Amino acid sequence: MGPLIPNGIITGDWNFVIAILLGVAFGFILEASGFSSSRNIVGVFYGYNFVVLRVFFTALIVTMVGLMYFDYFGWLNLSQIFILPTFWQPMLVGGIVMGFGFIMGGFCPGTSFTAIAIGKIDALLFTVGLYVGIGIFSLAFPLFADFYNSGNLGNITVTDLTGIDASWLALAFTFIALAAFWITMLIEKKIRKKITDYKF
Amino acid sequence: MNRNYIILTFLMLALAVGTLFLHLQKDTKQIQPEALLWDVLQPTRYVTTDQVAKRLIEKDPSLMLIDVRPAAEYTQFTLPGALNVPLDSLYTSAALANFGIPGAKVVLFANDAIAADEAWVILRRLNFKNNYVMKGGLNGWVETIIRPVAPAETAPETAFEQYNFRKAASMYFTGAKMDVNKDQKAKVVFKKRKKTVVASGGC
Amino acid sequence: MDTIKKENAPHYINPYLGGVLLGMLLLLTIYITGRGLGASGAVKSTVATTAKIVTPQDAKANAYIGRYITDDHSPMYTWLVFESLGIFFGGLLSGVIFRRVGKPRIEHSSKISGNKRLIFATIGGILFGIGSQFGRGCTSGAALSGSGTFAVGGIIVMFAIFGTGYAVAWLFKKLWI
Repeated sequence: MGPLIPNGIITGDWNFVIAILLGVAFGFILEASGFSSSRNIVGVFYGYNFVVLRVFFTALIVTMVGLMYFDYFGWLNLSQIFILPTFWQPMLVGGIVMGFGFIMGGFCPGTSFTAIAIGKIDALLFTVGLYVGIGIFSLAFPLFADFYNSGNLGNITVTDLTGIDASWLALAFTFIALAAFWITMLIEKKIRKKITDYKF
Repeated sequence: MNRNYIILTFLMLALAVGTLFLHLQKDTKQIQPEALLWDVLQPTRYVTTDQVAKRLIEKDPSLMLIDVRPAAEYTQFTLPGALNVPLDSLYTSAALANFGIPGAKVVLFANDAIAADEAWVILRRLNFKNNYVMKGGLNGWVETIIRPVAPAETAPETAFEQYNFRKAASMYFTGAKMDVNKDQKAKVVFKKRKKTVVASGGC
Repeated sequence: MDTIKKENAPHYINPYLGGVLLGMLLLLTIYITGRGLGASGAVKSTVATTAKIVTPQDAKANAYIGRYITDDHSPMYTWLVFESLGIFFGGLLSGVIFRRVGKPRIEHSSKISGNKRLIFATIGGILFGIGSQFGRGCTSGAALSGSGTFAVGGIIVMFAIFGTGYAVAWLFKKLWI
């Protein structure tokens, strides 16, 4: 029967109320997990705080595995959910640029909103930067419009691309994530001993 | 604390492994035998050659003709606008994409009704709906539409109406056959089932 | 001494609990709306709105932003803008509950000045803004929601972001530790 809004079970009038409620829950989880602090976030790259990896990978495998169950119980029609279109070249470049932005800015857009809420000026400037960046992108768009639309593979999933069944993918990701949790737990312990500047 | 994490690790693994079994079960999930039998017995799964002819003449866009004979026979002769899905390649995903299109009425046919019936049962077991079998197949088509037999003098009026329709249809299909074939094949193109995309937009 | 430290230390929920909650929220979001969460789209809408107000003609003519501008309503009237407002208030709610809301402050490593942190935060934001447009979404929209639904693009973005992060982390070590 799901997704509810595209199937008309919930009317579009509720759309924005739902958006705010889901956003509140999202913001709450991000902030409560410690994503309102940029030094918590970048800890994942230096090995002193793997909270990003833990939250992110747990959420990912819960979603992947959950979708399989939702599909099985007939709650969700997987053919109706939005699959992000793949433009592999611009997405790869975009990801790399975002990686630089991540390590320099210490936030990603969602987390910066929650950090502003608790009074972080650096997060506010990060958001201003986002605004400026998207503005620059829009103004300069004609220069790289071709590149922006290159490598279009359509709305494909990994299953479409490789033929590997989604359940196996979910299982593989679960394996990787769980292994990563245990390994990073050990790494974190070792590295935290060396760092004195940062309070955990 | 570590013990809890070990338990959670195994719980998550079990849930993930569980999805594999869900899928296996789903693959063999078919409609219930009683339901299938009931559907097989329904006369509504047949359409007559007259109905098909009428819809073809009216150029009904929801009509989708599927020829389940081998490709060689299909190239020799088929109904106008019919697609070829040989019975032995019915299980391929390319072939199955032709079925289950919302709004389309799929009419299966072969030389007689047997091969088409077979295809119909396979499709029904795969849970596809809105499929029909053309009664009498192409043999029936030739007998009734292409070479209609005049009814006896004593036959009721409806029989004469049917005969007149068939004669007209015969002229339509034989006289203008070459043109119709070309036109229709180009025109009635069904879009294969695609993933429905809800909306687009950035992150 | 130890007890004081503990009281002052930020009190975060268990990351795995946070992850499970986030995963379930994402499932719920997909269940209700058919698509995932996002954040950078809201900033894009803000850019479109500003452009529409300041230079309506140019905004419409712009090949990129023009797509989001219509005559009948403001570009702010989109799902992600409302969701992002929610993110802000959700963060505020959590901050109030766990007592992390405070006066405006800058968080930075003791090795750099506050101003340096602000400069790098802005540059990071600009890069993230540009990158998120190429990537069709940011960490939440593309990497999390995309990968969660097995989209190839989402996985590309996820590995590109984190891979780059690890590859260049040593360059910016001073900013953080």
